[in-house]
Amino acid sequence: MTAARTINFTLNGRAVSAEVKPHHNLIEVLQGQFALTGARESCGQGLCGCCTVLLDGKPVSGCLTLAVFVEGAEITTIENLGGSGDLDPVQQAFIEAGAFQCGYCTPGFILMTKTLLARQPQPSDDEIKDYLSGNLCRCAAYPEIVNAVKLAARKNKTG
Amino acid sequence: MTPFELIEPATLKDAIAAIDPDDPSVRPIAGGTALMLMMKAGVFQPRRLISLRKLDGIAGIAATPSGELTIGALTPLSMIEHSPEVARHSPVIPRIMVRLSNVRVRNVATIGGALAHGDPHMDLPPVAIALGARVHIVGSQGERELAVEDLLTGYYETALKPNELIASLHIPAQGKTRAAYFKVTAGAADDWPALGVAVAIEGDGEAIKSARVVVSAATPKATRLASVEKLLAGATIDDKTLKAAGDAAAKEAEILSDVRGSAAYKRELLRVYVGRAVRAAANGDER
Amino acid sequence: MTAPVTGKQIGRSLPRLEARAKVSGRAEYTHILRLPGMLTCKIFRSTVPHGRIKSIDIAAARKVPRVYAVYTGDDIRKVIPDPYYGPAFHDQPILALNKVHYVGEPVAAVLAEDPHIADQAVQLIAAEYEELPAVFDELEAADNKVLVHQELKPATTFADLKHLKGVKGTNCALDFKLRRGDADKAFASAAHVFEHTFKTQRVLHLAFEPFASIADYKDDGVTIYTASQSPSFVRTEIARLLGWPENRVRVKVPFLGGGYGGKLYIKLEAMAVALSMLARRPVKVALTMDEVFYTITKHPSTFRIKTGVDKNGKIVARKCDVWWNGGAYADVGPRVTQKSGFTASGPYDIDNVAIDSYALYTNLPPAGALRGFGIPQLVWAYESHTDMIARALGRDPLDFRKQNLLRDGRPHATGTILKDVAIEKVLDTIAERLDWERPFDRGSGTVKRGRGLAVGLKAVISPTTSVAIVNVAGDGSCTVYCSTIDMGQGSDTAMAQIVGEVLNMAAETIRIVPRDTDVTPYDMGTLGSRSLFHMGHAVRLAAEEAKAKIAQLAREVGEPEGSNIPLAELFAKKFGMQAGNIVGTGTYKPDYVPPDPATGQTSNATPFWMVAGSGVEVEIDTETGQLRVTRLVNVADVGRPINPKIVETQLSGASLMQLGFTLFEKMHFDGGQVTNASLADYKIPGIHDVPAVMENEAVEAYQSNGPFGAKGVGELATFGVSPAIANAIEDAVGVRLTELPLTAEAVFRALRAKDNRPLGDE
Repeated sequence: MTAARTINFTLNGRAVSAEVKPHHNLIEVLQGQFALTGARESCGQGLCGCCTVLLDGKPVSGCLTLAVFVEGAEITTIENLGGSGDLDPVQQAFIEAGAFQCGYCTPGFILMTKTLLARQPQPSDDEIKDYLSGNLCRCAAYPEIVNAVKLAARKNKTG
Repeated sequence: MTPFELIEPATLKDAIAAIDPDDPSVRPIAGGTALMLMMKAGVFQPRRLISLRKLDGIAGIAATPSGELTIGALTPLSMIEHSPEVARHSPVIPRIMVRLSNVRVRNVATIGGALAHGDPHMDLPPVAIALGARVHIVGSQGERELAVEDLLTGYYETALKPNELIASLHIPAQGKTRAAYFKVTAGAADDWPALGVAVAIEGDGEAIKSARVVVSAATPKATRLASVEKLLAGATIDDKTLKAAGDAAAKEAEILSDVRGSAAYKRELLRVYVGRAVRAAANGDER
Repeated sequence: MTAPVTGKQIGRSLPRLEARAKVSGRAEYTHILRLPGMLTCKIFRSTVPHGRIKSIDIAAARKVPRVYAVYTGDDIRKVIPDPYYGPAFHDQPILALNKVHYVGEPVAAVLAEDPHIADQAVQLIAAEYEELPAVFDELEAADNKVLVHQELKPATTFADLKHLKGVKGTNCALDFKLRRGDADKAFASAAHVFEHTFKTQRVLHLAFEPFASIADYKDDGVTIYTASQSPSFVRTEIARLLGWPENRVRVKVPFLGGGYGGKLYIKLEAMAVALSMLARRPVKVALTMDEVFYTITKHPSTFRIKTGVDKNGKIVARKCDVWWNGGAYADVGPRVTQKSGFTASGPYDIDNVAIDSYALYTNLPPAGALRGFGIPQLVWAYESHTDMIARALGRDPLDFRKQNLLRDGRPHATGTILKDVAIEKVLDTIAERLDWERPFDRGSGTVKRGRGLAVGLKAVISPTTSVAIVNVAGDGSCTVYCSTIDMGQGSDTAMAQIVGEVLNMAAETIRIVPRDTDVTPYDMGTLGSRSLFHMGHAVRLAAEEAKAKIAQLAREVGEPEGSNIPLAELFAKKFGMQAGNIVGTGTYKPDYVPPDPATGQTSNATPFWMVAGSGVEVEIDTETGQLRVTRLVNVADVGRPINPKIVETQLSGASLMQLGFTLFEKMHFDGGQVTNASLADYKIPGIHDVPAVMENEAVEAYQSNGPFGAKGVGELATFGVSPAIANAIEDAVGVRLTELPLTAEAVFRALRAKDNRPLGDE
């Protein structure tokens, strides 16, 4: 059972399958087999959030997720946001607030923001910081990121 | 990572049977966050991993009318964080969850995995000890119960035998017990703590009937401070008592140096934070 | 000088051009790039800080199934006979040869298609070393008792290093001297003399995209995909190593997932090229985050500073001795030593200055350029020191600084007359935002509060060259070709704004072509906050040339002057259809006069100076030493901001990065081995570390020789953060910390020492 096995799961709304070995993590499979590079392995320890993907709607660290563990699950990546040509309101808010610089950590922050607003549509500053405390930004765009979340929440409110 | 074999048993019995007690390169994996770190660092190179993820009936939270909680070992920390039962009967737990690791880890890490790892820096074990919690263990030789303080035996060491698994955590009804936990970080605000102090007091207002005081992170394992508990039993919360409690804690605890601080400094932190934790518990502060 | 009225692009806070790509996860970065047929490389590294290589056993590694090859330094020599590189010294081998000089130095390389297999094979490599004595501290290294290298090997491209060729018996790669007036004489007659020593620790950039390079070598050319801030340097240096003309080396750079000065000169490019030459296949060398700790870091420093003050409070003399801990290879350390070294006396008007700045080799990971380029270490010392002097003299720290501040028209310590330096304005603005004139409540209980400020100065590196091309197509759309790298500082957007201003086009319609040295012309490098000024001028000149050619074309086709005919129509008139291009080129190299080697004096040290400072309020829990910065104010002179929003985020981001370096970041070593090489144990600022109140301001200013009055911003807000905090700590609790980082434990120990109850060690 060190041999490759086929896993079947839903990726960004489509049923897919992949041949993986038990020691492969989800990020290398998403990048290597599906050309999805929005989730990136950086710290390799689940601390920076660059590898954030949604597993059954919940944010997880892709770099700490064995690919075999997503059998039967729904995986959503940053590439699933927005329609054709349109940006998701959270993505739009990040642009308006200037909430990124080099952009490497940005997809992770955006996915986390989406799940935060789904759980708590009008989060307080403290709630925003607590929820995003597990996402790091070396460019330190934190003040702008907090503004982006608040902007997105405001837009949700006014519709 | 080096390749390994992965098996996914359907029952707890099968999982236990799959563990080879003489082969430390065969281990169970639950949420996997802690184990993945060790595997990626090359510190642990498994020959075989036994996934516990398909086991039935080992996740979930149940409460009795009196407020006793039973939490299945495979319950993700996020489920515990958002559980109305836990909030009602052990409100200190959701309070500390907010700063426990991060949201992504909490979505995946399990309570059983957290306890079985024996990592002295974790936040839940000292709190569990302060609340008088016990674990239910299942093994190839049968079942047994252990107080969490007896489960943790040393630095990344537990009393679990190789072919034993934690099945559930039991938190006794807390009644009017008030609890608090201080996670003292030395550098960045979000970090493994340099020092953890968990306190649960029984009593009324400033009068303490009895207390459970636990130190963690700065010590090889989460440890109850017997001399502090003795001092607080029957005492009144005032500056004099808390200073004495802090001094007793500083004298009793076995403190380690690391990148987060020298042993001498952490001892001083403990001296101060024991009192702060007792006060916070008494006041029902948001800790 | 007041700013002339301009058109519509300069001063717009428009969103970054690449915004959509970044928020949708589609922006390209080298670390996540794959090429068909590519092999991955995993590196076997030295476990001793200094040693002669006795043997490297790769036999077991080669036998691992599906390992493609295993190579050592001897293999590299077969394809590149002299495999040493570096911007100042050609001292760094692609893979270690004969000796290793630091723990983590690359010794062997395994190639495989599957990185897991390469990893497994690396673990089967064994090396034997004859260990040699090692030196880790910069002051010890300066004694030259233990030597890191037998002989210095300066890169002959740098005229001022030639005299060091073949020098033996020293760890000092460069010693820079500045002498102005007679400091010793002035000290002798000064009313007060103060001397203090300050230290900084080893930290690193830790860009979230680790270093990555992919080389695709063919016999007639090599293409290198790399995360680099200096593609032109990569091209020239690889060409030099291969003995090729430049035009056979192609360097392609997408976005960088962070740079901060780390991704400069040669990092993995030479290794990738050599391995691709050996393997005859594309080779990707991409590090994991722990390996980043063994690649490039920031210079720790010891700065002994002595100041003489007359009876009226005027500073009459300053002597600066700075030792820079450069690690095992020089990288750009000698530049830091000299180009930052000459600002060591600070933004103060002092007649008698002596500076000695030494670049030292040690057996630790190399140090190089990190946002600030040595300036933060210098400001840490001189602004702490200046504050201490003020307090010792019973003077207000703001007032004392203002009495001694340098102003426009006055000579800097280098002798260069200052121009367009809003130092006083920056200082006054910080003070204003801190309400400095109002009494400040320092707290009466166990929680004490304090405030502090600091201001610093940097000269942009000179002389450097930037070249740009502007291309207007047959439909009037515009493309810009320049090798400046956008690593998040918004350079693409700024260049588009400048070109748009000249050509009267909206910036967002302008395309900045991806960096490719086959296409984008020479640029010295994206570093030291130089790009907005130098490349800004180059693109401006290119756009102006294009504009002149457009006017010429209009005349050719008989259009009246100022007819404002749409460009597409103009082209159609000329070519009969949508066809043709108008191309403009711009080259910019500012004037410069090299410093006198004996005195460091020059009439033209730099085309522009950077001025910035910070003010902070802190809260200290005196029972534990725990410190919180409750307010952080960053003020800078950036000339006229091209994009005010981006300027603000650059000030904010730089100051927060420096906050980490100030309060908790530190690489820990045990016998030369890094012991905290991961994000779990090397903490960087997170969202909860941002001070509750942050203010960032660019004062109103105009750089008269800058493009549209602008100058650089990227590094500015790193200057004053560290000393402002130390000054605030002294203000709050009366203790002075002279070493970074300013941890809770350091504060606690200082408080206990002050109380005569020093905390021992267990």
